[in-house]
Amino acid sequence: MCKNMPPLELAIQFHGHICPGLLMGIRVAEFALKELGISPDVDEELVTVVETNSCGVDAIQAILGCTFGKGNLIYKDYGKNVYTVASRDKGRALRIAQKFGGNRGPESQRFRELAQKGNLTADEAAEKENLTGILFERLMSAPFEDLFEWREIDFVFPEKAKIHATIQCAGCGEGVMDIRAVDTARGLICPTCLEEKGGQ
Amino acid sequence: MCESNVYLNKAGQEELLMEKVDRIIPAEDGSIFLENVFGERRVIKARIIEMELVRHRIVMEETSDAAVAQKRQEIWLEPATDHGHFHAGEEVILRVHKGYNMKPGDHKPKTDLQAFGVSEGMSRPLTLQEHHGNLELNLGQEADGLLHIYVREDGDHQLYGVIVMEIGHHHHHGLKPLGLPLEIVPADYSHARMGDSYEIRVLADGKTLAGIRVSATYAGTHNREYPHHLKTDEEGRAKIFLTARGNYLFSVTKDNITSTFTLVKSF
Repeated sequence: MCKNMPPLELAIQFHGHICPGLLMGIRVAEFALKELGISPDVDEELVTVVETNSCGVDAIQAILGCTFGKGNLIYKDYGKNVYTVASRDKGRALRIAQKFGGNRGPESQRFRELAQKGNLTADEAAEKENLTGILFERLMSAPFEDLFEWREIDFVFPEKAKIHATIQCAGCGEGVMDIRAVDTARGLICPTCLEEKGGQ
Repeated sequence: MCESNVYLNKAGQEELLMEKVDRIIPAEDGSIFLENVFGERRVIKARIIEMELVRHRIVMEETSDAAVAQKRQEIWLEPATDHGHFHAGEEVILRVHKGYNMKPGDHKPKTDLQAFGVSEGMSRPLTLQEHHGNLELNLGQEADGLLHIYVREDGDHQLYGVIVMEIGHHHHHGLKPLGLPLEIVPADYSHARMGDSYEIRVLADGKTLAGIRVSATYAGTHNREYPHHLKTDEEGRAKIFLTARGNYLFSVTKDNITSTFTLVKSF
Protein backbone atom coordinates (compact mmCIF):
# COMPACT_ATOMS: atom_id res chain seq x y z
CA MET A 1 0.00 0.00 0.00
CA CYS A 2 1.46 3.33 -1.07
CA LYS A 3 -0.50 5.84 0.96
CA ASN A 4 -2.61 6.00 4.06
CA MET A 5 -5.99 4.68 3.10
CA PRO A 6 -8.89 7.12 3.48
CA PRO A 7 -11.58 6.12 6.02
CA LEU A 8 -14.09 5.20 3.35
CA GLU A 9 -11.70 2.75 1.73
CA LEU A 10 -10.62 1.30 5.07
CA ALA A 11 -14.21 0.55 5.93
CA ILE A 12 -15.07 -0.97 2.56
CA GLN A 13 -11.94 -3.13 2.60
CA PHE A 14 -12.78 -4.33 6.10
CA HIS A 15 -16.47 -4.95 5.45
CA GLY A 16 -15.97 -6.44 1.99
CA HIS A 17 -18.68 -4.55 0.15
CA ILE A 18 -20.49 -1.22 0.05
CA CYS A 19 -23.95 -0.96 1.52
CA PRO A 20 -26.05 1.82 3.04
CA GLY A 21 -25.53 0.50 6.59
CA LEU A 22 -21.77 0.66 6.25
CA LEU A 23 -21.99 4.20 4.86
CA MET A 24 -24.02 5.29 7.89
CA GLY A 25 -21.28 3.84 10.12
CA ILE A 26 -18.65 5.72 8.13
CA ARG A 27 -20.54 8.98 8.67
CA VAL A 28 -20.68 8.27 12.44
CA ALA A 29 -16.99 7.42 12.68
CA GLU A 30 -15.85 10.44 10.69
CA PHE A 31 -18.13 12.73 12.68
CA ALA A 32 -16.83 11.37 16.00
CA LEU A 33 -13.20 11.89 14.95
CA LYS A 34 -13.91 15.49 14.04
CA GLU A 35 -16.29 16.40 16.83
CA LEU A 36 -14.15 14.91 19.60
CA GLY A 37 -10.88 16.02 17.99
CA ILE A 38 -9.43 12.53 18.24
CA SER A 39 -7.30 10.18 16.17
CA PRO A 40 -8.09 6.53 15.49
CA ASP A 41 -7.40 4.30 18.46
CA VAL A 42 -4.01 2.67 18.94
CA ASP A 43 -4.25 1.10 22.38
CA GLU A 44 -7.64 1.62 23.93
CA GLU A 45 -7.58 5.42 24.16
CA LEU A 46 -11.09 5.20 22.70
CA VAL A 47 -14.08 3.11 23.67
CA THR A 48 -17.18 2.70 21.52
CA VAL A 49 -20.44 1.25 22.73
CA VAL A 50 -22.60 0.02 19.85
CA GLU A 51 -26.25 -0.84 20.31
CA THR A 52 -26.47 -2.86 17.09
CA ASN A 53 -24.51 -5.59 15.35
CA SER A 54 -25.31 -4.35 11.85
CA CYS A 55 -22.99 -3.27 9.03
CA GLY A 56 -22.22 0.18 10.46
CA VAL A 57 -20.25 -1.40 13.32
CA ASP A 58 -17.60 -2.55 10.85
CA ALA A 59 -16.98 1.08 9.91
CA ILE A 60 -16.49 1.85 13.61
CA GLN A 61 -13.92 -0.92 13.90
CA ALA A 62 -12.09 -0.04 10.69
CA ILE A 63 -12.04 3.75 11.08
CA LEU A 64 -12.02 4.36 14.84
CA GLY A 65 -9.94 1.32 15.72
CA CYS A 66 -12.38 0.29 18.44
CA THR A 67 -12.41 -3.41 17.79
CA PHE A 68 -13.76 -6.65 19.13
CA GLY A 69 -10.22 -7.98 19.56
CA LYS A 70 -8.94 -5.02 21.56
CA GLY A 71 -11.93 -5.08 23.84
CA ASN A 72 -12.77 -1.42 23.33
CA LEU A 73 -15.85 -2.19 21.28
CA ILE A 74 -18.71 -2.91 23.63
CA TYR A 75 -21.79 -4.47 22.10
CA LYS A 76 -25.23 -4.05 23.59
CA ASP A 77 -27.84 -6.08 21.77
CA TYR A 78 -30.52 -3.39 21.69
CA GLY A 79 -31.21 -3.43 17.94
CA LYS A 80 -30.69 0.34 17.73
CA ASN A 81 -28.39 2.27 15.45
CA VAL A 82 -26.84 4.12 18.35
CA TYR A 83 -23.12 4.58 18.86
CA THR A 84 -21.39 6.09 21.88
CA VAL A 85 -17.83 7.09 21.16
CA ALA A 86 -15.72 8.02 24.21
CA SER A 87 -12.18 9.33 24.49
CA ARG A 88 -10.17 8.63 27.66
CA ASP A 89 -7.68 11.40 26.79
CA LYS A 90 -10.37 14.01 26.25
CA GLY A 91 -12.65 12.72 28.99
CA ARG A 92 -15.58 13.14 26.62
CA ALA A 93 -18.23 10.87 25.18
CA LEU A 94 -20.61 11.44 22.33
CA ARG A 95 -23.85 9.52 21.91
CA ILE A 96 -24.83 9.45 18.23
CA ALA A 97 -28.23 8.07 17.27
CA GLN A 98 -29.55 7.51 13.77
CA LYS A 99 -32.73 9.51 13.27
CA PHE A 100 -35.83 7.46 12.72
CA GLY A 101 -36.42 7.65 8.98
CA GLY A 102 -32.92 9.01 8.38
CA ASN A 103 -32.17 6.21 5.94
CA ARG A 104 -35.63 5.56 4.55
CA GLY A 105 -37.24 6.16 1.21
CA PRO A 106 -38.28 4.13 -1.82
CA GLU A 107 -34.68 3.49 -2.90
CA SER A 108 -33.64 2.23 0.55
CA GLN A 109 -36.70 0.01 0.68
CA ARG A 110 -36.02 -1.45 -2.73
CA PHE A 111 -32.32 -1.90 -1.90
CA ARG A 112 -33.25 -3.90 1.19
CA GLU A 113 -35.60 -6.07 -0.84
CA LEU A 114 -32.89 -6.86 -3.36
CA ALA A 115 -30.23 -7.35 -0.66
CA GLN A 116 -32.40 -9.94 1.05
CA LYS A 117 -33.16 -11.77 -2.15
CA GLY A 118 -30.73 -14.45 -3.31
CA ASN A 119 -29.81 -15.15 -6.94
CA LEU A 120 -30.54 -11.79 -8.51
CA THR A 121 -31.26 -11.66 -12.21
CA ALA A 122 -28.92 -9.55 -14.36
CA ASP A 123 -31.50 -6.75 -14.38
CA GLU A 124 -31.92 -6.91 -10.60
CA ALA A 125 -28.15 -6.90 -10.07
CA ALA A 126 -27.92 -3.82 -12.27
CA GLU A 127 -30.81 -2.21 -10.39
CA LYS A 128 -29.12 -2.92 -7.04
CA GLU A 129 -25.90 -1.44 -8.36
CA ASN A 130 -27.72 1.71 -9.48
CA LEU A 131 -29.44 1.98 -6.10
CA THR A 132 -26.09 1.61 -4.33
CA GLY A 133 -24.81 4.55 -6.34
CA ILE A 134 -27.88 6.69 -5.60
CA LEU A 135 -27.84 5.87 -1.87
CA PHE A 136 -24.06 6.26 -1.69
CA GLU A 137 -24.20 9.81 -3.00
CA ARG A 138 -27.18 10.70 -0.85
CA LEU A 139 -25.84 9.28 2.42
CA MET A 140 -22.32 10.58 1.97
CA SER A 141 -23.48 14.07 0.91
CA ALA A 142 -26.41 14.60 3.29
CA PRO A 143 -25.88 17.03 6.18
CA PHE A 144 -25.03 14.97 9.26
CA GLU A 145 -27.93 16.45 11.20
CA ASP A 146 -30.36 15.09 8.59
CA LEU A 147 -29.23 11.56 9.39
CA PHE A 148 -28.27 11.61 13.07
CA GLU A 149 -28.77 13.40 16.35
CA TRP A 150 -26.08 13.55 18.97
CA ARG A 151 -25.24 14.82 22.45
CA GLU A 152 -22.41 14.66 24.91
CA ILE A 153 -23.04 12.31 27.81
CA ASP A 154 -21.38 11.38 31.08
CA PHE A 155 -19.58 8.16 30.50
CA VAL A 156 -18.07 5.69 32.94
CA PHE A 157 -15.01 4.31 31.21
CA PRO A 158 -14.53 0.56 31.57
CA GLU A 159 -11.15 -0.71 32.74
CA LYS A 160 -8.70 -1.45 29.99
CA ALA A 161 -8.68 -5.06 28.84
CA LYS A 162 -6.69 -7.40 31.10
CA ILE A 163 -4.49 -10.27 30.04
CA HIS A 164 -5.37 -13.40 31.93
CA ALA A 165 -3.44 -16.63 32.46
CA THR A 166 -4.24 -19.65 30.30
CA ILE A 167 -4.71 -22.96 32.07
CA GLN A 168 -5.26 -26.45 30.67
CA CYS A 169 -8.81 -27.81 30.70
CA ALA A 170 -9.07 -31.07 32.66
CA GLY A 171 -11.62 -32.31 30.11
CA CYS A 172 -10.34 -31.67 26.59
CA GLY A 173 -6.79 -30.59 27.37
CA GLU A 174 -7.13 -27.33 25.46
CA GLY A 175 -6.04 -24.03 26.91
CA VAL A 176 -8.66 -21.79 28.50
CA MET A 177 -8.56 -18.35 30.14
CA ASP A 178 -8.40 -18.97 33.91
CA ILE A 179 -11.40 -16.76 34.68
CA ARG A 180 -13.53 -18.71 32.21
CA ALA A 181 -12.64 -22.16 33.62
CA VAL A 182 -15.16 -23.79 35.99
CA ASP A 183 -14.15 -25.77 39.06
CA THR A 184 -15.89 -29.15 38.89
CA ALA A 185 -15.45 -32.65 40.33
CA ARG A 186 -13.20 -33.36 37.31
CA GLY A 187 -11.09 -30.31 38.01
CA LEU A 188 -11.01 -26.98 36.13
CA ILE A 189 -12.81 -27.40 32.85
CA CYS A 190 -13.55 -25.07 29.97
CA PRO A 191 -17.05 -23.77 29.08
CA THR A 192 -17.16 -26.06 26.03
CA CYS A 193 -16.73 -29.21 28.11
CA LEU A 194 -19.15 -27.89 30.70
CA GLU A 195 -21.75 -27.28 28.02
CA GLU A 196 -21.27 -30.65 26.34
CA LYS A 197 -20.77 -32.98 29.30
CA GLY A 198 -21.71 -30.98 32.38
CA GLY A 199 -19.40 -31.15 35.36
CA GLN A 200 -18.96 -34.94 35.14
CA MET B 1 -48.37 16.64 -20.91
CA CYS B 2 -46.73 16.51 -17.52
CA GLU B 3 -45.76 12.86 -17.24
CA SER B 4 -46.53 9.67 -19.07
CA ASN B 5 -46.59 5.95 -18.61
CA VAL B 6 -44.04 4.18 -20.76
CA TYR B 7 -44.99 0.84 -22.29
CA LEU B 8 -42.87 -1.74 -24.04
CA ASN B 9 -44.34 -3.33 -27.11
CA LYS B 10 -43.53 -7.03 -26.96
CA ALA B 11 -44.83 -8.99 -29.91
CA GLY B 12 -47.88 -6.77 -30.17
CA GLN B 13 -48.59 -6.80 -26.42
CA GLU B 14 -47.94 -3.67 -24.40
CA GLU B 15 -46.30 -4.08 -21.00
CA LEU B 16 -46.02 -1.21 -18.55
CA LEU B 17 -42.32 -0.38 -18.20
CA MET B 18 -42.44 2.69 -15.98
CA GLU B 19 -45.13 4.92 -14.54
CA LYS B 20 -45.24 8.72 -14.48
CA VAL B 21 -42.08 9.31 -16.49
CA ASP B 22 -41.17 12.98 -16.67
CA ARG B 23 -37.75 12.80 -18.30
CA ILE B 24 -36.65 10.90 -21.38
CA ILE B 25 -33.19 11.29 -22.88
CA PRO B 26 -32.40 9.28 -26.00
CA ALA B 27 -28.69 8.63 -26.53
CA GLU B 28 -26.73 8.29 -29.69
CA ASP B 29 -25.83 4.73 -28.74
CA GLY B 30 -29.43 3.60 -29.08
CA SER B 31 -30.23 3.64 -25.38
CA ILE B 32 -32.93 5.71 -23.69
CA PHE B 33 -32.67 7.14 -20.20
CA LEU B 34 -35.96 7.33 -18.28
CA GLU B 35 -36.70 9.05 -14.99
CA ASN B 36 -40.06 9.32 -13.28
CA VAL B 37 -41.58 11.62 -10.70
CA PHE B 38 -40.66 9.14 -7.94
CA GLY B 39 -36.97 9.51 -8.82
CA GLU B 40 -36.69 6.03 -10.31
CA ARG B 41 -34.30 5.77 -13.21
CA ARG B 42 -33.78 3.24 -15.96
CA VAL B 43 -31.75 2.96 -19.08
CA ILE B 44 -33.04 0.66 -21.78
CA LYS B 45 -31.99 -0.14 -25.27
CA ALA B 46 -35.12 0.79 -27.15
CA ARG B 47 -36.67 3.08 -29.69
CA ILE B 48 -39.82 5.13 -29.36
CA ILE B 49 -42.54 3.86 -31.68
CA GLU B 50 -45.51 5.93 -30.52
CA MET B 51 -46.18 8.98 -28.34
CA GLU B 52 -49.78 9.67 -27.44
CA LEU B 53 -49.44 12.89 -25.55
CA VAL B 54 -53.06 13.52 -24.65
CA ARG B 55 -53.32 10.08 -23.11
CA HIS B 56 -49.93 10.38 -21.38
CA ARG B 57 -48.73 7.24 -23.11
CA ILE B 58 -45.41 6.44 -24.74
CA VAL B 59 -44.73 3.13 -26.44
CA MET B 60 -41.24 1.79 -27.00
CA GLU B 61 -39.74 -1.27 -28.57
CA GLU B 62 -36.57 -2.89 -27.33
CA THR B 63 -33.61 -3.06 -29.68
CA SER B 64 -31.25 -6.01 -29.57
CA ASP B 65 -27.80 -6.00 -27.93
CA ALA B 66 -26.31 -6.79 -31.29
CA ALA B 67 -27.98 -3.81 -32.94
CA VAL B 68 -26.64 -1.48 -30.28
CA ALA B 69 -23.19 -3.05 -30.31
CA GLN B 70 -23.11 -2.63 -34.05
CA LYS B 71 -24.06 0.99 -33.68
CA ARG B 72 -21.29 2.11 -31.40
CA GLN B 73 -17.81 0.87 -30.65
CA GLU B 74 -15.24 2.42 -28.39
CA ILE B 75 -11.56 1.93 -27.78
CA TRP B 76 -10.07 2.49 -24.37
CA LEU B 77 -6.88 1.96 -22.46
CA GLU B 78 -6.39 0.28 -19.12
CA PRO B 79 -3.23 -0.25 -17.09
CA ALA B 80 -2.01 -3.79 -16.56
CA THR B 81 -2.05 -3.15 -12.82
CA ASP B 82 -4.86 -2.72 -10.33
CA HIS B 83 -2.59 -0.67 -8.11
CA GLY B 84 -3.71 2.67 -9.54
CA HIS B 85 -0.29 3.75 -10.72
CA PHE B 86 3.12 2.46 -11.69
CA HIS B 87 6.30 3.05 -9.76
CA ALA B 88 9.43 4.61 -11.20
CA GLY B 89 11.55 1.84 -12.71
CA GLU B 90 8.54 -0.45 -13.15
CA GLU B 91 7.50 -1.58 -16.64
CA VAL B 92 4.51 0.49 -17.74
CA ILE B 93 2.11 -1.75 -19.62
CA LEU B 94 -1.28 -0.67 -20.93
CA ARG B 95 -3.93 -2.75 -22.64
CA VAL B 96 -5.99 -1.52 -25.57
CA HIS B 97 -9.60 -2.66 -25.63
CA LYS B 98 -12.37 -2.32 -28.16
CA GLY B 99 -16.00 -2.83 -27.25
CA TYR B 100 -18.64 -0.92 -25.38
CA ASN B 101 -19.33 0.10 -21.77
CA MET B 102 -15.93 -1.25 -20.68
CA LYS B 103 -16.84 -4.68 -21.97
CA PRO B 104 -14.54 -5.85 -24.76
CA GLY B 105 -16.49 -6.99 -27.79
CA ASP B 106 -15.85 -9.31 -30.69
CA HIS B 107 -14.23 -6.64 -32.83
CA LYS B 108 -10.49 -6.32 -32.36
CA PRO B 109 -8.78 -2.94 -32.71
CA LYS B 110 -7.54 -2.40 -36.25
CA THR B 111 -3.94 -3.32 -36.87
CA ASP B 112 -3.11 0.17 -38.10
CA LEU B 113 -4.12 1.64 -34.75
CA GLN B 114 -1.75 4.42 -33.73
CA ALA B 115 -0.54 5.18 -30.22
CA PHE B 116 1.21 8.20 -28.76
CA GLY B 117 2.72 9.15 -25.42
CA VAL B 118 2.81 12.77 -24.33
CA SER B 119 4.97 13.91 -21.46
CA GLU B 120 6.06 17.44 -20.58
CA GLY B 121 4.45 18.62 -23.83
CA MET B 122 6.54 16.24 -25.97
CA SER B 123 4.71 13.65 -28.08
CA ARG B 124 6.22 10.37 -29.27
CA PRO B 125 4.77 7.44 -31.20
CA LEU B 126 4.41 4.18 -29.27
CA THR B 127 4.59 0.63 -30.55
CA LEU B 128 1.63 -1.70 -30.09
CA GLN B 129 2.16 -5.42 -29.69
CA GLU B 130 0.08 -8.57 -29.32
CA HIS B 131 0.47 -10.33 -26.01
CA HIS B 132 -1.60 -13.39 -25.17
CA GLY B 133 -4.36 -12.20 -27.48
CA ASN B 134 -4.36 -8.69 -26.01
CA LEU B 135 -3.16 -5.59 -27.75
CA GLU B 136 -0.66 -3.93 -25.44
CA LEU B 137 1.51 -0.89 -25.14
CA ASN B 138 4.72 -1.57 -23.29
CA LEU B 139 6.36 1.73 -22.50
CA GLY B 140 9.22 0.16 -20.60
CA GLN B 141 10.52 1.89 -17.51
CA GLU B 142 9.31 5.43 -17.09
CA ALA B 143 10.53 8.25 -14.88
CA ASP B 144 8.44 9.82 -12.11
CA GLY B 145 5.66 11.97 -13.50
CA LEU B 146 2.39 12.00 -15.39
CA LEU B 147 2.07 10.27 -18.75
CA HIS B 148 -0.68 11.20 -21.15
CA ILE B 149 -1.24 8.36 -23.62
CA TYR B 150 -3.73 8.01 -26.43
CA VAL B 151 -4.62 5.63 -29.23
CA ARG B 152 -6.39 6.47 -32.46
CA GLU B 153 -8.27 4.23 -34.86
CA ASP B 154 -9.15 5.75 -38.21
CA GLY B 155 -12.19 4.83 -40.26
CA ASP B 156 -15.65 6.07 -41.14
CA HIS B 157 -16.11 6.52 -37.43
CA GLN B 158 -12.90 7.67 -35.76
CA LEU B 159 -12.10 6.33 -32.30
CA TYR B 160 -9.84 7.80 -29.64
CA GLY B 161 -8.87 6.34 -26.28
CA VAL B 162 -7.02 8.49 -23.76
CA ILE B 163 -5.52 7.65 -20.38
CA VAL B 164 -3.42 9.49 -17.83
CA MET B 165 -0.95 7.28 -16.00
CA GLU B 166 0.81 8.27 -12.86
CA ILE B 167 4.38 7.10 -12.41
CA GLY B 168 5.35 7.40 -8.76
CA HIS B 169 3.32 9.48 -6.33
CA HIS B 170 2.09 12.97 -5.68
CA HIS B 171 1.65 14.53 -9.07
CA HIS B 172 -1.15 16.90 -8.27
CA HIS B 173 -0.94 19.38 -11.06
CA GLY B 174 -3.00 20.29 -14.06
CA LEU B 175 -2.78 18.58 -17.41
CA LYS B 176 -2.64 20.24 -20.78
CA PRO B 177 -5.23 18.98 -23.26
CA LEU B 178 -3.86 16.94 -26.14
CA GLY B 179 -5.74 19.00 -28.72
CA LEU B 180 -7.59 16.04 -30.26
CA PRO B 181 -10.67 16.61 -32.46
CA LEU B 182 -12.74 15.31 -29.53
CA GLU B 183 -11.28 14.86 -26.07
CA ILE B 184 -12.26 14.32 -22.44
CA VAL B 185 -9.84 15.95 -20.02
CA PRO B 186 -9.79 15.73 -16.22
CA ALA B 187 -10.59 19.22 -14.90
CA ASP B 188 -7.95 19.02 -12.20
CA TYR B 189 -5.72 16.00 -12.09
CA SER B 190 -5.28 14.57 -8.62
CA HIS B 191 -5.83 11.21 -7.01
CA ALA B 192 -9.46 10.43 -7.59
CA ARG B 193 -11.04 8.18 -5.02
CA MET B 194 -14.33 6.58 -4.40
CA GLY B 195 -16.63 9.07 -2.70
CA ASP B 196 -15.04 12.03 -4.49
CA SER B 197 -16.82 14.35 -6.85
CA TYR B 198 -14.87 14.19 -10.11
CA GLU B 199 -14.97 16.77 -12.85
CA ILE B 200 -14.09 16.42 -16.51
CA ARG B 201 -14.09 18.79 -19.44
CA VAL B 202 -14.96 18.02 -23.04
CA LEU B 203 -13.00 19.74 -25.76
CA ALA B 204 -13.11 19.66 -29.54
CA ASP B 205 -9.84 20.81 -31.10
CA GLY B 206 -9.00 22.43 -27.78
CA LYS B 207 -12.29 24.36 -27.54
CA THR B 208 -14.90 23.66 -24.90
CA LEU B 209 -17.99 21.72 -25.89
CA ALA B 210 -21.10 22.81 -24.02
CA GLY B 211 -24.27 20.77 -23.70
CA ILE B 212 -22.83 17.49 -24.92
CA ARG B 213 -23.71 14.17 -23.34
CA VAL B 214 -20.92 12.21 -21.70
CA SER B 215 -21.47 8.62 -20.60
CA ALA B 216 -19.61 7.16 -17.65
CA THR B 217 -19.15 3.60 -16.54
CA TYR B 218 -16.88 1.57 -14.28
CA ALA B 219 -15.10 -1.72 -14.36
CA GLY B 220 -17.43 -3.77 -12.16
CA THR B 221 -20.76 -2.64 -13.52
CA HIS B 222 -23.48 -5.23 -14.01
CA ASN B 223 -25.29 -2.89 -16.34
CA ARG B 224 -25.30 -3.75 -20.00
CA GLU B 225 -25.73 -0.05 -20.69
CA TYR B 226 -23.72 2.86 -19.39
CA PRO B 227 -24.94 3.51 -15.83
CA HIS B 228 -24.25 7.26 -15.83
CA HIS B 229 -25.01 10.04 -18.27
CA LEU B 230 -23.73 13.56 -17.75
CA LYS B 231 -24.20 16.77 -19.69
CA THR B 232 -21.50 19.41 -19.99
CA ASP B 233 -22.23 22.95 -18.81
CA GLU B 234 -21.40 26.15 -20.66
CA GLU B 235 -17.71 25.69 -19.85
CA GLY B 236 -17.75 22.12 -21.16
CA ARG B 237 -17.57 20.71 -17.63
CA ALA B 238 -19.46 17.82 -16.09
CA LYS B 239 -19.26 16.21 -12.65
CA ILE B 240 -19.82 12.75 -11.35
CA PHE B 241 -19.80 11.36 -7.82
CA LEU B 242 -17.57 8.29 -7.84
CA THR B 243 -19.52 5.52 -6.15
CA ALA B 244 -17.78 2.40 -7.41
CA ARG B 245 -14.45 0.70 -6.96
CA GLY B 246 -11.95 0.47 -9.79
CA ASN B 247 -11.38 2.46 -12.92
CA TYR B 248 -14.00 4.61 -14.62
CA LEU B 249 -14.46 5.16 -18.33
CA PHE B 250 -15.91 8.35 -19.79
CA SER B 251 -17.13 8.35 -23.37
CA VAL B 252 -18.34 11.07 -25.68
CA THR B 253 -19.54 10.94 -29.28
CA LYS B 254 -19.86 13.85 -31.69
CA ASP B 255 -20.50 13.51 -35.38
CA ASN B 256 -18.26 10.67 -36.55
CA ILE B 257 -15.87 10.63 -33.58
CA THR B 258 -16.05 8.71 -30.30
CA SER B 259 -13.47 9.55 -27.68
CA THR B 260 -12.94 7.89 -24.30
CA PHE B 261 -10.99 8.78 -21.20
CA THR B 262 -9.99 6.20 -18.61
CA LEU B 263 -9.85 7.45 -15.05
CA VAL B 264 -7.47 5.21 -13.14
CA LYS B 265 -8.34 4.74 -9.47
CA SER B 266 -6.39 2.80 -6.92
CA PHE B 267 -9.57 1.72 -5.19
